[in-house]
Amino acid sequence: MLTSLSVCVVSLALFWMAAFTLWWQMHAWRTPETLASIRFEQPSGTGALSFSLLVPARHEQTVLEHTVTRLLESTHGRYEILVIVGHDDPETAEVAEKVAAAAPYQVRVITDTHEKKNKPKALNTALPHCRGEVVGVFDAEDQVHPALLSHVDHAFRTTGADVVQGGVQLINFHSSWYSLRNCLEYFFWFRSRLHLHAEKGFIPLGGNTVFVRTDVLREADGWDPECLAEDCDLGVRLSSKGKRVVVAYDSEMVTREETPGTLLSLLKQRTRWNQGFLQVYRKKDWRQLPTFAQRMLARYTLMTPFFQAFSGLVIPVNIAVALFLDVPVGVAVVSFLPAVTALVTFVFEVVGLHDFGAQYGLRVRFVHYLKLIAGGPFYQCLLAGAALRAVWREQRGRSDWELTRHVGAHLTREDVTS
Amino acid sequence: MTAILPVTQSRVATLPAVPVPGTPREVPRLRGSRPDLLVCGVLLALILLVQGWNITGFPNLSDDEGTYLAQAWAVQQGKGLAHYTYWYDHPPLGWIQIAAVTWLPSLFFPDAVSVAPMRCAMLLVSAVSVVLVYVLGRRLGLRRWAAGLGMALFGLSPLSVVLQREIFLDNIAVMWMLVAFCLAASPRCHLWHHFGAGLAAAVAVLSKETMLVILPALLVTMWQHSHRDTRKFAVTGAVTACGLVGLAYPLFALLNNELFPGPGHVSLIDGISYQMSRAGSGFLLSPGSGAHRVLQSWLYYDRVLPLCGLAAAVLLVATARRSRTGRALAGPALAAVILALVALRPSGYLPAMYVIQTLPFLALALAGVSASVVGALLRTRPDRVRRWRAARWGAVAALAAATAVLVVPSWYDGNRSALTTDANAPYRSAASWLRDAGNVADPARTRVLADDAIWLDLVHAGYRPGTGAIWFYKADLDPAVARTMPRGWQDVDYVVASPTVRRDAVTLPTVKAALEHSDAVAVFGTGDDRIEIRRISRGAAR
Repeated sequence: MLTSLSVCVVSLALFWMAAFTLWWQMHAWRTPETLASIRFEQPSGTGALSFSLLVPARHEQTVLEHTVTRLLESTHGRYEILVIVGHDDPETAEVAEKVAAAAPYQVRVITDTHEKKNKPKALNTALPHCRGEVVGVFDAEDQVHPALLSHVDHAFRTTGADVVQGGVQLINFHSSWYSLRNCLEYFFWFRSRLHLHAEKGFIPLGGNTVFVRTDVLREADGWDPECLAEDCDLGVRLSSKGKRVVVAYDSEMVTREETPGTLLSLLKQRTRWNQGFLQVYRKKDWRQLPTFAQRMLARYTLMTPFFQAFSGLVIPVNIAVALFLDVPVGVAVVSFLPAVTALVTFVFEVVGLHDFGAQYGLRVRFVHYLKLIAGGPFYQCLLAGAALRAVWREQRGRSDWELTRHVGAHLTREDVTS
Repeated sequence: MTAILPVTQSRVATLPAVPVPGTPREVPRLRGSRPDLLVCGVLLALILLVQGWNITGFPNLSDDEGTYLAQAWAVQQGKGLAHYTYWYDHPPLGWIQIAAVTWLPSLFFPDAVSVAPMRCAMLLVSAVSVVLVYVLGRRLGLRRWAAGLGMALFGLSPLSVVLQREIFLDNIAVMWMLVAFCLAASPRCHLWHHFGAGLAAAVAVLSKETMLVILPALLVTMWQHSHRDTRKFAVTGAVTACGLVGLAYPLFALLNNELFPGPGHVSLIDGISYQMSRAGSGFLLSPGSGAHRVLQSWLYYDRVLPLCGLAAAVLLVATARRSRTGRALAGPALAAVILALVALRPSGYLPAMYVIQTLPFLALALAGVSASVVGALLRTRPDRVRRWRAARWGAVAALAAATAVLVVPSWYDGNRSALTTDANAPYRSAASWLRDAGNVADPARTRVLADDAIWLDLVHAGYRPGTGAIWFYKADLDPAVARTMPRGWQDVDYVVASPTVRRDAVTLPTVKAALEHSDAVAVFGTGDDRIEIRRISRGAAR
């Protein structure tokens, strides 16, 4: 009786969690109108805003030049690029100085002299030097579309937004089984889920292709230098103060990125994010959100990694209990509910992969679908591992920055050498 | 304050152009439309009146109704999925729903859970179904009057009135299939509406497995009402939802260790192979076959809906590519055509309630074709002067009058007998005879062979369910029951010889012997419909 009851309670809790996550994940495809509304509007008229684009780079000498060169191809007229390098990183600094010398009126190099370095400290170092009305953040390995700034400019002007978040997309889905899933996670997050967050008024921002009005950013004292998910934190702080955030995703206009090169670096990256989410949760800025529903969404979103870890571990146990212990058939059927929801999610992921291929003109082969399905449980284990590791590190007070290395797998060969 | 970007105009303009005869694509919200509520409300009241009046008296209580209700009763009592061993003859969701609907009344009036009074529960199902036919008609683009016509055809045809009064799983399954069609025709092309359509379709199939054959027609409707950009998610989601819920049934069997055949237990595979190998009732159109008799029994009540409806459905399917009405109603019309083709297979078992599943689709097809004919008569080109107005309207009026002359008298006759005939007096008398202590002193120690139509009455009268009140088939077919009757018919005290018992006794040795070794102690009714209560004559055996 007690077993039955606990199986039912756990199953129903897991079911609701999975169902809500699925509901939000599929937000963009609810109706054709929703799908149409998530895109950038065609810009009209000439740009009115000026931009300061921050590009923090650390040991990224191989990809930095390409990124800045591509940023310089922008069709927008008024922008400056601030490359931020560390004082202990001469190789990257050399590349940065080289590109700055090539375009002296548009590119400047800012040197970050903090003893312990991380991304938010680098960004804060550059913030006083920004001359533009809008600050944009890019990572050193980003491939940015030339027309992006004009679209963002238009979005700022037509919506009166304080923040515009553009899409970011991992592209190298063919690299490995986990990069496939990683790409798809980004696809669902930026194409769908983030729009729901913008609509509901609580949004954890992404790490790049994020644009904030400079005065709003200064008023908020920039980024939190101690937070491991400074992007998420900024989004939570700004939306808690009622700032207007607009999200737009256009497959042409997304910033293209690469997945971490090894499984271990993915684990580290995910650990950092999870720990960052945990820090943001504990900072309690989200409690200022006006409505209960928003606070619940915040609570749930920030705790998601841990729910994910929990459900990944509990679903199999739950089914095993139902199958092998002697529980009534009805209870056994209830215990399958979370697994059924997980299956539905799986199916939508397969369709999502097809749509991803269609959106980006990439050829998705049958074997990729197989990898996607077969990799699911392992990826779940990875997520669970990262979540546990994050809790462990947070408990031990370890909050140093584990940087993800980039090799440029999302760039084609010509891109890197040219 | 946060918000998403405003809708890009060009994309919205590419919404699916669902072809609609004479109305714009945007279907008004029916809940907020007063004329729709009025039409629907008035028709609903009329249909409920016709279907509800004398619902206990006509038609004859059938053994199947009794079986489903007895199974629902077993679910309510926590005795499992059936009053005897559940053997996967049908998926159980249908009578689980009956159990849920009749649960509240059963708390207050436990004795009322018998076939005649519980037919009222079917009124609820009917009410939902007829409203859904109206909603579906509107969502598929029919004008208000045409949707109302479909609703009236579906709810008031004497064939519908007779069959929808009865506690049949098909009625419940039809309701869920209509829910599925309405959700599939979601005006907003909503992902979760389509997902819901898949769920509802699965519930329909688990209520009555024959619904499986209509699923392609549902898919067609969903395809038409999904947008190019979101279709792959919507349709895959719906198929997944339907499949996963449908799989719950084999999963249930698996968890009970009853999926595969084996010694000493029933199994899902056995149940399916029994249903597939049921003795065929012949070709529908060859006179003398069982299937032909079933067809005659349908046409006895109404010819308009089955024949004209089918013709309309065939016409719509044939013109689906060319005509707007054909395209709009392709889903329901296809459903009707598929069901007709299944019925026309040369050998196979055709149950009497089979036609129930086709009725809403026939009604919608007929209403669609009528709307199209009227539309053609009244249509003028936009640039031309309206000419011959009086003549056109006159033609419409003449057509309507001619149809009314043909239809109304036969429907009036059919429905009048449904509203006035008391066909079940013999059952009531037999039940009260067996309840009377002057006739049967100790019901708890008396064993009666009876059909399921009266089985619950016997249980309420104090006979032991299962082994005291014995469903007559089980005396021969269920080993668990046969074991309690080591001396065969001699262990029985009474037989309630209803038409069903007399008809099927031929193949049941114990029941046959019991009929032969018994004398009628009470007879209710006359002719073939009479019900005899026969006492086993012990003297003859000794």
